[in-house]
Amino acid sequence: MGGPPKAGEDVIALDIAIVVLVGVCVLAAARMLIGPTDADRAVAADLFTFSVLGLIALVGVRSGSVATFDLLLIATLVGFLSGLSLARALTRGRR
Amino acid sequence: MTVWDVVGQVFILAGVVLFAVAGAGLFRFPDVYTRVSAVGTAAGLGIGLIVVGALALQPGLASGIKVLGIVIFQLSTSAVATSAIGRAAYLARSPINRVTFNELTATEPPDEGQDPEMRPGDGTGPAGRPNEG
Repeated sequence: MGGPPKAGEDVIALDIAIVVLVGVCVLAAARMLIGPTDADRAVAADLFTFSVLGLIALVGVRSGSVATFDLLLIATLVGFLSGLSLARALTRGRR
Repeated sequence: MTVWDVVGQVFILAGVVLFAVAGAGLFRFPDVYTRVSAVGTAAGLGIGLIVVGALALQPGLASGIKVLGIVIFQLSTSAVATSAIGRAAYLARSPINRVTFNELTATEPPDEGQDPEMRPGDGTGPAGRPNEG
């Protein structure tokens, strides 16, 4: 299919980076499953969130789309609220 | 392949290496607080490097403005989230792995490196310490 000109279709580093980030997602999910405390699970969820952010950026470059920068801008604006919510949940709502 | 392609790949690989180190740190570090430090570094600098590398692969004025906003917001907010998680872990009495001990007073290392005052508890704060600020 003739899409827009793809900037990253001959860039091998993008493929390597996507594979490594998926591996990091798997590691974070494993730590979420076997985490001894709830704090470990919260930290793993934080890393999982940011790995998915990096995957969005890399897949956007890989598919030649510049609209993913908008997605990333919104995700960075609201993404840290997930970490703050997990921190609040760790202390059972107390500050 | 222009010079910007090379620069973009170098930045993206640097950011991905930070993420890989954080993922390894989740399994190599002994307690929550060291894991928080690894994840905080990856979240701030890693996302920034990856996004700057993506901009170098797809240059443009609008994308550059967005990337500037992404880097500023990410550097200023991700540290807040990760440090809040670390503080909440301390308030929830997550165990601290003490890697040092006093040879003059202790005859042997503490049990499994655990600080006896920081056992995993019932979610309340450390003893003798006011919780609510």
